[in-house]
Amino acid sequence: MSSKFAILLLAGIAALYAQETTLDHSVKINLPPDSPLTLISENLGESHVTQRGSAVVLDLDVTLTLHNSSPNRVRGVTLLVAAQEVTPGGKASVSVPSLDVPPTQNFPVRINLRLLRPAQIAGGPLVQVNLDGVLFQDYSFYGPNRLDSRRTMTAWEMQAQRDRKYFKSILALHGMEGLRQAMLESLNRQAERPRLDVQVSRGRAVASAALGEHNARFAFLRFPDEPVEPVEGWAEVAGNEARNPRIDVRNLSSRQVRSVEIDWIVTDRQGKQYMAGSVPASGPEFNLKAGSTSRVLQDTALRFSRLSNDGGAPVSIAGMTGFVGQVEFADGKVWIPNRASLASAQLLGILEPSPEEQRLTDLYRKKGPKALADELNKF
Amino acid sequence: MTHPNQSILALYAGRDLGWFTRRRTERHLSHCGECRDEVQAFASARDNLAALNELPAISWNRLAAEMKANIRLGLEAGECVRGERTAAPFAPFGILSGVRTVAACASVMALVATGLLLQRPTPETPPTVAGESAVLRATANGIELNQGGQTLSLRHVRTGDVTYSAGAEGSMRAGYVDSDTGNVTINNLYVQ
Repeated sequence: MSSKFAILLLAGIAALYAQETTLDHSVKINLPPDSPLTLISENLGESHVTQRGSAVVLDLDVTLTLHNSSPNRVRGVTLLVAAQEVTPGGKASVSVPSLDVPPTQNFPVRINLRLLRPAQIAGGPLVQVNLDGVLFQDYSFYGPNRLDSRRTMTAWEMQAQRDRKYFKSILALHGMEGLRQAMLESLNRQAERPRLDVQVSRGRAVASAALGEHNARFAFLRFPDEPVEPVEGWAEVAGNEARNPRIDVRNLSSRQVRSVEIDWIVTDRQGKQYMAGSVPASGPEFNLKAGSTSRVLQDTALRFSRLSNDGGAPVSIAGMTGFVGQVEFADGKVWIPNRASLASAQLLGILEPSPEEQRLTDLYRKKGPKALADELNKF
Repeated sequence: MTHPNQSILALYAGRDLGWFTRRRTERHLSHCGECRDEVQAFASARDNLAALNELPAISWNRLAAEMKANIRLGLEAGECVRGERTAAPFAPFGILSGVRTVAACASVMALVATGLLLQRPTPETPPTVAGESAVLRATANGIELNQGGQTLSLRHVRTGDVTYSAGAEGSMRAGYVDSDTGNVTINNLYVQ
């Protein structure tokens, strides 16, 4: 009896201790005065701030309704989410690619975020949302581009155009049955794509030869039309961790290249291949003139393990393969591999689908082939 | 009349009941002779147990002196035996003396060295990373950045398939189709 009383008392104290406080001034949405998008409303839904001892937990589920006040159709938006004082150097963004928003139309962007930080940090909103970039139908761009959103959204839009063209050609050549078949193949690929749990960390590693650390060399896949070729590359590998990838690339084109992204595949001891991630290089220090060679270098550690529902065991790296996934020229134009190249290199079953292919297969799954055909015929 | 059970009475006898139950039991005992007898019996048994636990008087000083003497005797006997062996260290094992011993040791060492060279150990466990400033990972419902005990996570709700990708520049991405809007949403977390 007395123990029940004590539990009730403790629960009461805990409830008083973990008080929910108001969201007032916790979130701030900033859009520049000359922005092509205007904020119509922000729906905070079930968002709340909870004080837990010496920490604050912010659960934010906000839906912003934005208005396209520009004369162009919007193809993509990236919002920079900055959590005050949290994880210095850490930041977040929410992008919505594969849009087709005509002028004067509204569209939603949802941000679902959880922030845990000490309560002692004082002053200002907990989270600020800023516009990082807007991509339009004609590939023009607006925004401060702090997150390199221009390149990323341009590449997504090019992938969208590539994949729409592919599915439209199937529809034109083989009709609804052909489209249905292509959708089923894509859904199967997505479901059967080998996946790993990847953890990215920054910091000084103390792995040594005693742990089997060695320099592992990349093998490269080549595409006939690639403007930049990988020459050679290495990463320091120890068990299931690969660190500090460095890849030498040569500009085969006659144009100056601003950034390159090498896609990275790892092979486990059983010979199974997984998409590990990408190794991008950009910024003022990376300047790849026509015919010149430069180095793509990152100071990061990637750790690979099986998915938690597959046991979560570490996956030892037996081999690494790279290929050029993106090239951005100095004029802002972007090159991506075409679908035929990816298919002939048997990469479609390893790579994640493009955002547009993900959207189209989702549309097919939920609304059927007729709705998909109507969508493909829009533009 | 409802009587308290045996365990309550035993705990009461040992003064181990909580305040509220003790008061209630006292009230009952004030007008129930039967239960008072039970409590008395438990109290007596408890006293008897305490008496049984007491050890008979032992002369600890005498016992210590005997133990010390026995240890000293053992040590002296050991010295006598060691003195004989140091005179001829390998006498009982003559086969291991001289050139043969050196050759055998060299062979064993060469064998171990060759084995290590041919099969270098490649442990499955990840190396220790010291001074990690930030870690990005995928979780059950989103992607998460941990740094110095602080956490920032972007979550995906109301969705089916999610694709994750890592960037070696220090980024993690999760892409999914929002069930409510039908739009693709791509969450990104970055460390610098």
